[in-house]
Amino acid sequence: MFQWTSTQRRLLGRDFLILFGLAGWGLALPAYGSPFAMSLGLTCLMYVALSTSWAMFCGTSRYLSLATAAFFGIGAYAGALSVEQLPWWQAVSLGGLVAAAVAVVMGAMVLHLRGTYFAVLTFGMTELIRHAVTHWEKRVTGTVGRVLATAPEPLTVYLTVLLLAVLAVALAIVVRQTRFGLALVGIGADEQRAQTLGVSTRWVKTAGFALTAAVAGAVGAAMSVRWTYIDPPTVFNPFIGFQTVLIALIGGAFTLWGPLIAAIVFSVLAETLRLTMPEVYMMTLGLLLIVCVLYLPGGLASLRWQSFESWRTQAKAWWLERRDTWSGERRRREARAKRVQQAMELGA
Amino acid sequence: MTVPVASTPPLLEAHQITVRFDGLVAVNAVDVRFVAGELVGIIGPNGAGKTTLFNAISGVKAPTSGRLTVQGHDLTGAAPHRFAARGVARTFQTPRVFGDLTAHANVAFGLKFAGRRPRRYGWWGEEVGVPWALRDAPGILTLIGLRDQADMVASELTPSQQRLLEIGMALATRPRLLLLDEVAAGLTESEVDEMARLIRRLRDELDITMVWIEHAVATLLRHVERVIVLHQGQKIADGTPRDVMRDPHVIEAYLGDEMVGTTAAPVVSMEGATA
Repeated sequence: MFQWTSTQRRLLGRDFLILFGLAGWGLALPAYGSPFAMSLGLTCLMYVALSTSWAMFCGTSRYLSLATAAFFGIGAYAGALSVEQLPWWQAVSLGGLVAAAVAVVMGAMVLHLRGTYFAVLTFGMTELIRHAVTHWEKRVTGTVGRVLATAPEPLTVYLTVLLLAVLAVALAIVVRQTRFGLALVGIGADEQRAQTLGVSTRWVKTAGFALTAAVAGAVGAAMSVRWTYIDPPTVFNPFIGFQTVLIALIGGAFTLWGPLIAAIVFSVLAETLRLTMPEVYMMTLGLLLIVCVLYLPGGLASLRWQSFESWRTQAKAWWLERRDTWSGERRRREARAKRVQQAMELGA
Repeated sequence: MTVPVASTPPLLEAHQITVRFDGLVAVNAVDVRFVAGELVGIIGPNGAGKTTLFNAISGVKAPTSGRLTVQGHDLTGAAPHRFAARGVARTFQTPRVFGDLTAHANVAFGLKFAGRRPRRYGWWGEEVGVPWALRDAPGILTLIGLRDQADMVASELTPSQQRLLEIGMALATRPRLLLLDEVAAGLTESEVDEMARLIRRLRDELDITMVWIEHAVATLLRHVERVIVLHQGQKIADGTPRDVMRDPHVIEAYLGDEMVGTTAAPVVSMEGATA
């Protein structure tokens, strides 16, 4: 999994190089790609940012949060409300800040719970926030949903989300090398033990949760302008939260590049299958999750040549077993062993 | 070793500590104080509240009532990391090492958190005020005898090695007071002696105060200088092993306890202690 060795500095450099290369690809896409490729790239980048930042905190510390949709939605609303008054980058940062502030409050309430309780409660809070926003819109503004009159260029949105995705991955790379990241690993392995070794777990958990929320909020703010009309069911769609978790789990929630790999696979699948065969898309996603949980607990990122080889040997052993059973070879072999044993007993 | 003088400021002082779980009183108004340089044993039959007392004085379980001071600082109800920062480290009954990390990383963990306190550096970049043996992870691994296993993943170590690693993790916080919870349970006779030697060495050379819980009375009494006896959540005796084992309350507690069964246990250990 994660080890502190003398090679960590070199790995840090390697990780940044890979990120640099990928970012270059992302930058080149608008110049060469079709509008379809752009839209695919945007979805892809959005999920790269969401699930990489989710895995950074939730994967490492094993606090399975389903609140990504809440932070995304809060960010989207904060962005949509301020985009007409504030410069673009400030509106996006505001989305991140508001989401982080909400995460601090939410974290204070739920971060002492673990496992299923934590997951269910974060999901419940997402719904609560969604209904609170709906209620507020009805009472204060009189209508549900809002139309965005001024929206920046699609290219600006794309570049912003690209920047956010790069920032999210860079954050994950840096966090892995710091004491903060080590504290998260300790919390994931044995929270109480980490505490007795001097980790202020409450602080670390709240900070991690807020960082994840800040990324989700900023992405939400940047993405909100893509839809000209936003309302709570769109931006607080629980599906955003589930998909983020799913991508991180399929890719490998404990790995750095897993969520990114899975986000690419997922968005290509989504964009190609969703329009033509929506059911097939959902089925593929489900199948992928089942296969990953059963055969690749470490996620896609843990896939190595050895895994293929061990699958091959396993499959071969299974086939030999079948063949021997069907051809009666196994029965003969057992009979032979029995005869040998009887002979030995007689001899003794 | 002289019996600690009452005027020495205590490293940790627990005043009337009570821990209650719903209806059950696990620890009932216990007073304990540990002064620097001691090697104290805590014994008691099953369910006497030994581990619960440890949980209370290391911050893992906040006491229901009572007061706790560590080196003069009031830490009643504080989180475990604040105890660690004040120099109180502990081990757990079943080793709780980070199974996915190497032995080296397990030890380095404590150094990065509670063990990070003294941040004064000398001419050669070494930390001032830290014993040489606790300077870094290899040093600690050498001390506990796991130098060769440094790069092994902790879950692949043998149970007795994991127990040593557990002590190493606690040492990495550079403690003044180390609470050992049944570190000798399940070890062979020679391993127990080795463990006792290590504990004594840590006390003598690194000046770490040791408090050692053990279910096996005989083992413990051979090695400690002061014994605290808990029975049904209450402290019933506190003194040198010799005096404690002659205490009628202690004998009664052990005779009355069916879990220990053989009455020979305290008697035999008494012989051992006097010899």
